[in-house]
Amino acid sequence: MSLVFQSLVLGVLMGGLYALLAAGLTLYFGVMRVVMIAHSAFLVLAAYLAWTFTVHTGLDPMLSLLVTVPLFFVLGVAVQRLLVARLRPATLTMMSVLLTFAVALAVEGALGFVFTGTHRRIPLSYSGARLELFGASVALVKLIAFGLAAVTLVGLHVLLKVTRFGQALRATMQHREAARLLGVDTDRVAGFGFGLGLATAAVGGTALALDSTIYPSLHWHWIGPLMAIIVVGGLGSVAGAAIAALLLGVGQNLLQIPLGTTWAQTFFYAALFVTLILRPQGFFGGRLAQRF
Amino acid sequence: MDIANGLRIGALGAAAALLVAGCFGGRPAESGAGGDGPIRIGVSLPLTGDFSEPGKGVQRGYEAWAKHVNDNGGLLGRQVELTILDDQSNADRVAADYEKLINSDGVDLVFGPFSTRLVIPAAQVARDYGFLFVEPAGAAAEVFNQGFDNLFYAAPAVAQDHYNHLAEAILAMPEATRPKTAAYAAMDDPFAQGTANGLKEKLAKAGVRTVVDEVYPPNTTDFGSIAAKIADSRADVVVGGTQYQDAVNLIVALRQLDYQPKLAAFSTAPTNPEFPKAIGAQTEGILSPTGYTPEADYPSNQEFVEFYTREHGTAPTEDEANAWTTGQVVAAAVDAAGCADPSNECQRKMIDWLHGNEVETVVGPLRWDGAGRPQGAHLIQQYVGGKIRIVLPADAKEAELVYPKPAW
Repeated sequence: MSLVFQSLVLGVLMGGLYALLAAGLTLYFGVMRVVMIAHSAFLVLAAYLAWTFTVHTGLDPMLSLLVTVPLFFVLGVAVQRLLVARLRPATLTMMSVLLTFAVALAVEGALGFVFTGTHRRIPLSYSGARLELFGASVALVKLIAFGLAAVTLVGLHVLLKVTRFGQALRATMQHREAARLLGVDTDRVAGFGFGLGLATAAVGGTALALDSTIYPSLHWHWIGPLMAIIVVGGLGSVAGAAIAALLLGVGQNLLQIPLGTTWAQTFFYAALFVTLILRPQGFFGGRLAQRF
Repeated sequence: MDIANGLRIGALGAAAALLVAGCFGGRPAESGAGGDGPIRIGVSLPLTGDFSEPGKGVQRGYEAWAKHVNDNGGLLGRQVELTILDDQSNADRVAADYEKLINSDGVDLVFGPFSTRLVIPAAQVARDYGFLFVEPAGAAAEVFNQGFDNLFYAAPAVAQDHYNHLAEAILAMPEATRPKTAAYAAMDDPFAQGTANGLKEKLAKAGVRTVVDEVYPPNTTDFGSIAAKIADSRADVVVGGTQYQDAVNLIVALRQLDYQPKLAAFSTAPTNPEFPKAIGAQTEGILSPTGYTPEADYPSNQEFVEFYTREHGTAPTEDEANAWTTGQVVAAAVDAAGCADPSNECQRKMIDWLHGNEVETVVGPLRWDGAGRPQGAHLIQQYVGGKIRIVLPADAKEAELVYPKPAW
């Protein structure tokens, strides 16, 4: 019984992290139908920046966010304006896979060149610290990552729902031409949307680095599950992706008890196939990119 | 279909070309029996791809060995010359490389590549040509089940035997303090899993109950659930058949669940210089088998460490040491047979000699069974007082085994 409860707690914490890591992906697709294969490569880049920051300054990796979040926002705008915006609209989704695949390879290669292939981990005095919760252990680092996820996702939600920029962004998602007719500078909004997505990668990568060992090719292990999450959640829906991430995280952790690690890993892909067969638009998103 | 056919025809063409080259290209005259030109040694290594990091280590070891031999008058009075090809960590490529080395380049001797997956196809080619095949890395059981009689693994022990000294030490403990339960977590990889399975079999036979036995795919990065299972079992001993990141992530996950075993052993990772940086002070008491340490006082080892450090500025690691050992083993066979040429008689003489004799190397004296398994065991190291020290076997130890291990 305690093992089931412990696994449930671990699953919720992991689901929160998954939701944060997938948030950017769903934004890119929502804003401009771009499948961003390089998202997880940028997560690993942010993780390396956090590692470098901590190793050189001795300060907490979370402080690196002050630099990486704005940096990644600018980087995102640049990637959108200089690369993605030049793809032909008719083949955008397909070609964006190729383009961002190349970007992922470039980021991975650069990481290997600068940081070598040596596996790194941020040395944290509180890496093993934990809290008791009804007999289950909650690791402090996982709780922090969960907190970062919650803050980021709530912030994103508020930004999209309440601000003028959010309205413009949602209008661009729903109908680009109509938004332009109403005076929205859709190119600019699309660039900012992409920057926003990459800024979440800065937060996600730092959260990831708190509790895992990082190496340049790590991003290939993440992109599959993250893609599965946004498809199950409904492409373009931040809330849908968050719900899907939590359900898949908990499901995987619980399935691990009877099935073992190898089979539990297939849960994401089983969920992906079932979604595509039964409800290709995703379970929580409604029509593509219409809701948040 | 067209592409596949094209490839097939291309491959056929290439094979035919190789064959022609082999028949008519002729071997360089000086490498014939008893020539006094250089002894040419062919190697294929994974210099790019998955195994490029250890592959380059093996390359450094081979090159250092060749330089050392040449600085000291060569083999049989002849200089040695290495031909190293890059197999891109690809098992098809490695077989073609050895075909080329033996057949068209006409090398006198071959050295093995890195890792089980590449050693098996390479050894196959070497056997077809009757070549002696000494290899620096390929410790999994599969390597020795293929019926190779020309293969010798140039390291102290096969994967299954890495923990032998630890198993003996555990079984020698008095009944009252001896651990009663054990949890195993191993990567789905022939080498990593082999180390854990070897210890599991020995402990299970002696009555240490297996309470968790997890196997995870190599791409696993989250160890929360595996750690939860192990922590829930409250096993006295935890054993990881690990590489690197998996061991580090598993150890941190176990600490987060406040699981405190009496004994914790992980393969490979703890001997990595990055390991204490990742784990911090909590390494204390962690055990690991190791096939090589620069501190070992075997006669040729000091010479090796000195020479290598002078050349490269850093002490050698296990990859370089195993490559150097391969060189030493082949050199011993060449000296004993008094020849170094590709002829069947010469290669057979060397193979037969190695089957019946012991060779002094930087990893200690080595001897092999009929399938090429070395008959030794790995040293067991433990973090004691913040440094990794040899604790087993008793005659090589630098520190006492700490049991039970301090809390992490």
